[in-house]
Amino acid sequence: MTTEAKIKPKVAFFDFTSCEGCQLNKLNLENDLLDILEHIDIVEFREAMDDKAEEYDIAFIEGSISTPSCVERIHDIRRRSKMLIALGACATQGGINAMKNLHPIEEVRETVYGDDKYLFPTLPAMPISAIVKVDYKIDGCPMSMPEFLKVLKSLLAGQEPIKPDSAVCVECKLKENECVFDKGMVCLGPITRGGCDAICPSFGQFCTGCRGLISNPNKNAMLEILTEHGISLDEAKKRILLFNSYDHSQSLPK
Amino acid sequence: MKKYQLNNKQLPSFIDHLKKQGTVFAPHKKGDTSYSFEKVENPNSVVLDYNRTLNSVKKYFLPPREHLLSFSKTDNSFRKGSFKNEKKIFLGVHSYDMKAVLKLDYNFSQGNPEENYLQRRKDSSFIGVSFIPDEFHFSQSVGIPLHDTEGFDIYLEQNSDGYTVKIITEKGEKLIDGFDRVSKAKDISSNHVQFQNKLKYNYNRLPEVFEQSWNAAVWEEVSKKCVGCGTCNLVCPTCYCFDVEDNLDLSLQTGTRDRSWDGCMLNGFAAVAGGENFRETLAERQRHRVHRKFKYISDITGEPWCVGCGRCTAYCTAGISIVEIVNQLCDEYEQNYLNRPAVVGLNAERL
Amino acid sequence: MSIAISDVKSQELYCPEIAKITAVKRFTEKEKWFDIELPGGRSLGHQPGQFVQVSLFGAGEAPISVTSSPTKKGSFELCIREVGMLTKLLHKLDVGSTVGIRGPYGKGFDVKSFKGKDILIIGGGIGIVPLRSLINYVIDNRKDYGRLIILYGAKNPDELLYPDDLKLWKKSNDIEYHITVDQGTPEWKGNTGVITTLIPGLDLDLPNTITAVVGPPIMYKFVLMSLKTKRIPDENIYLSLERRMKCGVGKCGHCQINHSYVCQDGPVYHYPELKHLQEAI
Repeated sequence: MTTEAKIKPKVAFFDFTSCEGCQLNKLNLENDLLDILEHIDIVEFREAMDDKAEEYDIAFIEGSISTPSCVERIHDIRRRSKMLIALGACATQGGINAMKNLHPIEEVRETVYGDDKYLFPTLPAMPISAIVKVDYKIDGCPMSMPEFLKVLKSLLAGQEPIKPDSAVCVECKLKENECVFDKGMVCLGPITRGGCDAICPSFGQFCTGCRGLISNPNKNAMLEILTEHGISLDEAKKRILLFNSYDHSQSLPK
Repeated sequence: MKKYQLNNKQLPSFIDHLKKQGTVFAPHKKGDTSYSFEKVENPNSVVLDYNRTLNSVKKYFLPPREHLLSFSKTDNSFRKGSFKNEKKIFLGVHSYDMKAVLKLDYNFSQGNPEENYLQRRKDSSFIGVSFIPDEFHFSQSVGIPLHDTEGFDIYLEQNSDGYTVKIITEKGEKLIDGFDRVSKAKDISSNHVQFQNKLKYNYNRLPEVFEQSWNAAVWEEVSKKCVGCGTCNLVCPTCYCFDVEDNLDLSLQTGTRDRSWDGCMLNGFAAVAGGENFRETLAERQRHRVHRKFKYISDITGEPWCVGCGRCTAYCTAGISIVEIVNQLCDEYEQNYLNRPAVVGLNAERL
Repeated sequence: MSIAISDVKSQELYCPEIAKITAVKRFTEKEKWFDIELPGGRSLGHQPGQFVQVSLFGAGEAPISVTSSPTKKGSFELCIREVGMLTKLLHKLDVGSTVGIRGPYGKGFDVKSFKGKDILIIGGGIGIVPLRSLINYVIDNRKDYGRLIILYGAKNPDELLYPDDLKLWKKSNDIEYHITVDQGTPEWKGNTGVITTLIPGLDLDLPNTITAVVGPPIMYKFVLMSLKTKRIPDENIYLSLERRMKCGVGKCGHCQINHSYVCQDGPVYHYPELKHLQEAI
């Protein structure tokens, strides 16, 4: 490769309805951050700087769409971005925010804003892909750092990142983790999309399904597994819906 | 066959004796209720009385993840992954896991003998240990007696004071040579272990069952309970399927071509780039998995390719049991193919 | 079963050879043709119908059928459809670029046993890619074989591959060449309809005709039915299957159909062997 300065892609980060934890998570990249900056120019990153550019090669979007102004803003960003990547569970699948969709929207407004509810227009929480075209998704709550790096590397190398589509169980088995079911917990690993290197079970914690479900998940069988392991059907459904309300609330058995 | 007595107290010094001769791997406690093979640092943490390890010793010959190549895009050069040349001693292997290694030896040496597996596999010695079968073990039902010593260099059979040490091979003789703390084998009674037969049919009859198993109802039934997580594949000591993926370093110029264990129960296993998935349903995938254990390779080798370790069943969160699947196949076989009047007539004639 | 593993001569299976692209042509929006030279111009040594694993460091490997005949020396040819990440990157490569090659792998068409026979080629879509290797082999050894009948079908005229070859086949006096597209265009003057529509009209010397079929999975069932109606004996039919051949050496398990590894026993199968493989067609 030549050493002459190449034009680095302009990368921007934006946040919508979220805790901004994914963005902060990126600043924890310490070891790799400088290497990454060799390859990209970060032009917009509210958590770290305040510099604006007009157009972006890659826009990373954190958070879900939950207000009319979000819709306007995401359209605007999409127009200015060659590639748009959803970052973290809120952006990729609505995340925890989408739990509000399980209740009548007026009720939600009233609970949150009380008498001031008319000052705060709200929409059901949606993933970014519900409004604009999303080129890639980096799942997780917070988003998975190894996956973030992998996607970034693929894109910089001119490739298409491959979306993992096997369960978290696979990564647990590769690491020879003791199954958290055998520790007396219930876990969503069997139907949750891997790619996180089974980070929660590796630390003795059960999987909450934050990365969304694998393709063609057998949800009925999963519910049976959960109830067989001692939680009620109602609780089992809540577990699945914690992060997956937007995609799966309609398809769970009543 | 030479026999010695090794008392429990002498075990740590025996392990130290082994450690002088090579790297020793043995079962250790892992997590709350599990075990895993680990390199022995402290002989006192070795656990020989265990039900099963999470993964079998397969992981040392076919690692869960490995670099096949390291490459540089800059000059299109590459290096093969390296293999550590060390003498390896596996202590405390159960007879079914030993059999599984012998089966993998077949898979990796027939057709195109694979360097990666065979290089790692050479210079290995195996010291077996007896075990008390639990609810999931059924190795005896697939033709592996509890005290089967094939493949072992030394076999330790538990008795009331410790272990009867049986020297199986010359290699085993050398391993114990110089360890003077063993005494002549005493006539101590071995633990009498009952190993219940769990399969409905003798394993010799399974080929006839699997001749008629393709359209069995059990596949569809089991698929209702299965979530396709792949656990049964990944913990299986005779599964060896893998996937390969390239990973770039942050330089974007260098990287590795990596392989990792894969499983035929997973969604994309049989899917091609164009989008076609040749085993789309969980029922088809379950059928493929079980046929790989009892038919496809077995038709060629004449042995079940399942060793009855019970891992796929013990670690299945959905409670799917391979023994129950096979037994239901036997039932369906009887109902649909054996009890037909014509067949009965035939039997009667023979009588 | 116990194998003395120290007696087994192990092979290094996963190292590619770095080969050079010497020519590139675009056939359609999705397919490109590449001419590839191994180090020192060494021959690939393949059989028609075999495949190679093509790789780019950092992107991975994919099985691709060889489309040139073994009679062509000095280089070999691939025709690659853009269907995934790797093939997309391969499409960006130009003359002088390098790719990794492993292989050739699998079983091809048993051209020796076809000697003296009439050869009926039935290719649907990119199925024509491995068949072109067989066609060119027969053309280059023309006197060893009887009639050469080519049936080629594509979805529409824009998806037809090998424009130069098609002209040649059409002009040639000793090739019977029939082409059809599923959907024509106003400019299209040839046959329209699926490939099976070309079969009933053929006048064949039945016991003496070898049929080689390659196409998308959906095509096989219908073509086989037509061939049956035409009374072509199963023993005279060969077909090539597509599966996910990740390693190419019979280890990784992805391409398995029952006991058969497509990368070893196939991709070209003698039809009587395939009939006993559930899931195959």
